[in-house]
Amino acid sequence: MKSRYVKKIFVLMTVLSLVASLLAGCSSGSSKQAGSQQGGEKTLTIALTTDPGTADVQLTTDAYFIPLNIYDRLVEAVTTAPGKSELKPGLAERWDISSDGKVYTFHLRKGVKFHNGEELKADDVLYTFDRMLDPKTKALNTDFLDMIAGAKDRMEGKADSTSGLKVIDDYTIQITLTEPFAPFLACLATPAGSIYNRKATEAAGTDFGVKPEATVGTGPFKLSGWTFNSEVVLTANKDYFLGKPDIDKIVAKVVPDADTQRMMFENGELDVFDCDNALSQIPYFTKSDKWKNQIVSGPRVGTYYYAINESIKPFDDVRVRKAIQYSIDRQLLIDRLYYGIGTVAKGIMAPGLAGYNPDLPGIPYDPAKAKELLKEAGYPNGFNMTIAQITDRPNTLKINEAVQAMLNDVGIKAEINQMDEAAYFATRKEGKLPMYQADWSADFNDPDNFIYTFFAPRNSVARSFNYANAQVQADLEKARVMTNMDERYKLYQEIEKKIVYDDAAWVPLFHLNHLFVVQPKVKNFKVSWNGWSNMPYYEVKIEQ
Amino acid sequence: MIGYVLKRILTSIPVIIGITVITFFLLNVVPGDPVVLMMKEHISPDVVERVKAEMHLNDPVYLRYIKYMWGALHGDLGTSYKLKNRKVLDLIIDAFPNTLKLSLAAVLIAWAVGIPAGIVSAIKQYSFIDNFFMGFALLGVSMPVFWSALIMQYIFSMKLGLLPVSGFAGPKYIIMPAIVLGWSSAASIARLTRSSLLEVIRADYIRTARAKGLKEWQVVFHHALKNSMLPVVTIMAIQIASLLSGAVITESVFGIPGIGRLSVNAIQNRDMPLLQGTLIFTVVLVILGNLVADIAYSYLDPRIKYE
Repeated sequence: MKSRYVKKIFVLMTVLSLVASLLAGCSSGSSKQAGSQQGGEKTLTIALTTDPGTADVQLTTDAYFIPLNIYDRLVEAVTTAPGKSELKPGLAERWDISSDGKVYTFHLRKGVKFHNGEELKADDVLYTFDRMLDPKTKALNTDFLDMIAGAKDRMEGKADSTSGLKVIDDYTIQITLTEPFAPFLACLATPAGSIYNRKATEAAGTDFGVKPEATVGTGPFKLSGWTFNSEVVLTANKDYFLGKPDIDKIVAKVVPDADTQRMMFENGELDVFDCDNALSQIPYFTKSDKWKNQIVSGPRVGTYYYAINESIKPFDDVRVRKAIQYSIDRQLLIDRLYYGIGTVAKGIMAPGLAGYNPDLPGIPYDPAKAKELLKEAGYPNGFNMTIAQITDRPNTLKINEAVQAMLNDVGIKAEINQMDEAAYFATRKEGKLPMYQADWSADFNDPDNFIYTFFAPRNSVARSFNYANAQVQADLEKARVMTNMDERYKLYQEIEKKIVYDDAAWVPLFHLNHLFVVQPKVKNFKVSWNGWSNMPYYEVKIEQ
Repeated sequence: MIGYVLKRILTSIPVIIGITVITFFLLNVVPGDPVVLMMKEHISPDVVERVKAEMHLNDPVYLRYIKYMWGALHGDLGTSYKLKNRKVLDLIIDAFPNTLKLSLAAVLIAWAVGIPAGIVSAIKQYSFIDNFFMGFALLGVSMPVFWSALIMQYIFSMKLGLLPVSGFAGPKYIIMPAIVLGWSSAASIARLTRSSLLEVIRADYIRTARAKGLKEWQVVFHHALKNSMLPVVTIMAIQIASLLSGAVITESVFGIPGIGRLSVNAIQNRDMPLLQGTLIFTVVLVILGNLVADIAYSYLDPRIKYE
C-alpha cells in the first residue's frame, strides 16, 4: 500500500520529464551557424546587446540597426572615407533650396518601390513627416523635424496637419521652415528622416514597427522575422532601387552578455564582434595571429568628456573648473585604458565633423598649474567632490578611478557615486547630477549637433552642465539660422573656444576609434562615418 | 478538497492586489522617469515634457493605478512604455513558453540527479560516494550561476565544440542552461533528501522493518523514503515556482528570451505596465506553486486533510 505513493512520485517525475523533453524538442532546430550558406544563401550574423524594441524610428532615439537597413531617406549621409561623410541623393534625386534658406523642394526618384510593391510618392514623404509631428504618435525624434513651419502647432495639437509640408506633384515635395536652418538636410539624413509608406503604415496601426509583415520601407532589406529578446531577421530586398544587396539575410541575435558574445564570435556563431562590448579584449585580438588581420577600425566622430555642474560649489568658480581640466593626463588614459586607439581631444567637436577646428591649442596635463589655480580660488588644500556614474559600467568606472587618482594628486578628493541608471538620468535631467563622464557621437554632420545639444540653455540644464553665458547662448541661436557656411563654422569655432578655454565648462578627454573584428568570409565591412555600432549593411559582402 | 482550493484562490486575490499597489506606488517614489530613460543621452527637455503629457504620466498616481487595474480586470495589461506598441500580455505569452521549457528541463535534471544522490548519500553515510555527492552538491549551491555558465560555455562550446554558446533555437540550446540551473536546485534537493532520510532511517519503525527481515532496498524505498519526502516536496514546489518566474542571470548569459529578462528590462526602464504584468504573472505562479505543494502533502501523507 505504502509503496504505491513512492511509485506515484516516480510516475509523476517521469511524466514531467517526458513533458520537458517533449517541450524542449518542440522548438524547431532553426538555428544555423553564423555566415552559413544553406542552399547558397549568404547569411550575416551579428549581435545586439538589447532588443531594439521597435523598428519605428520615430519612437526611438537609439535603436537604429533596423531603420538603417530597411528604410531609406530623402538624403543619405554616405561614408566616403574613415570618419568622413558626404550628403548624397537618396530617395530624392535632387533638391533646390530657396535663396532665403527657408524653402526646400525635393524631386523624388521615380520607380522606387516599397516592400509592399507600392511606388514611392511625395504623399508618402508628407505622411511620414506629419506622422512624426502628430501628437498621437508620441514620437521621440521630433527634434530633427521641429524646424518645419507649423511643426509646433501640430505637436501641440493645435493643427491637424503641418503647414510647412506641401505636395507639389507625385514626385515633388516642398518643405518650408520657420527660419533658415543650415543643418536641415543633414537632419533629414539621420535615421529619424526614414520614409514610410502611407498605405502600409496606416493599415498597420500599432503593429507598425513591431510585426515584421506590417513594417514596410524601401530599403535594401526587409524586416522578415522578430522573436523578441532573441533575434531579428532581415532578408534582402531583391527589388531594391540601387540593386540587390550581396548578402541574402542578416540575423541579429540579442546577446546581452559581453563574454557570451565574444565566445560566440570565436566559436563561429557570430560574424562580427564589436570591441566596444569588451574593450579588455582588444589586446587579445590585436596580438592573436588568427584575428589581428581581421580587425576593422574606424574613427568615431565623437568625443569623450567630463561634464561639470556649475551650480554645485565650488564649480561655480572658473578657476576650479580650469584646475580640473589641467589635472587630467589624457594621453595616459588613452594608452592605459584604451590601448592607444585614440587621440587627445582639444574641444567639443570631433575630427571629421563639419566645422571641426584642428587649430585649438589643447589642454596640457599640468598638475602644478592646477594646484596654483586651486590656491588662487581659495582651495589650497583642495576640496571634496563627487563623480556620478551608472552602476555596472566597467569602462566608465575605469576612467573615473583613474581620474579620481589624478585629481587626488592635486589635492581634490573625489568620491565615485555609482547610481542606478534610472536615478542617474532622472537626476541629470533635473540639472542636479554632479560631475560625470560621458561620450557623444554625431547624429548628423554639423556643429549644431555637438554644441547646441549641450549648451543651449534648456539642454545645458537637462544635461546638468548648468552653463549660463548669455553671449555664447545668443550666438548659438544666431549660428543656427546662418546660411553662409564658412561664417557659420567660424562662429561655432569661436563659441567652442569660449566654452572650453574661457569658461572651462567642458572637460574634453579623447576621441576613440571604433574596433570590430570580423570573420574572414566577411568582406567590405566598413565602420560608419560616425562610428556607430548600428550601421547599414548594404555594401557588406560574404565570400562563398 | 475543492472547497479548500477555492478558498485558497479567493484569499490570493487580496495578495495580488496588495502587491500591485505596493509596486505601483513604490516605483513612483524611487527616482526615475520612463520617458527620460527612453531618450537617455539624446534627452530633449521639450520632447520629454510633451511625450509625458501624451502618455498621461503627469496624472496623479492613484488615478493611473485605477486606470491600470480597470484595464487589467478586463484582461488588458496595457502596452509597454519602453517597447512602444507592444502589448504586455503578448510579451508575457511569448516569453513564458521559453521560461517553461527551461524550467522543466532544469527541474527534470534537479530531480533526476538530486533525489537519487540524496538517497545514496543517506544509505552510504560517510562513505566516499556520500562525500563525493555532498561535495558536488556544495559546489552546486555555492557556485554563482554566471560563473558555472561561463565555465560550461568555455568547455562545451569553445573547447569541445559540442554545444552552441548561446541562443534558443532548438533542443541542443537548452542543455547547458538547464544543467547550470538544475545543478543548484539538484544540490539543495540532494542535501535535503539526505538529511531528511537520515532522520527517518533512525526511527523505530525502520528498525522494526529491518527486524522483520525486509531487504535493505525495501526498507529504504517502501518505509523510509515516503516519510522523508515531505520537506523535499515543499522545496521542489517552491523551486518550480521560482524557476517559472524567470532565471534572470541564466536567461541573460544564454540569451534566452524568457520572463526573467522581461522583468529586469521593465525595472531598468521604469516600465510600469510591463513590470506590473510580469509581477502579477509571477505572483499567480508562486501562489499556484504553493497550492500544488499543499495538495501534494495530502497525497503523500493521508493524515493531512484539508477541509
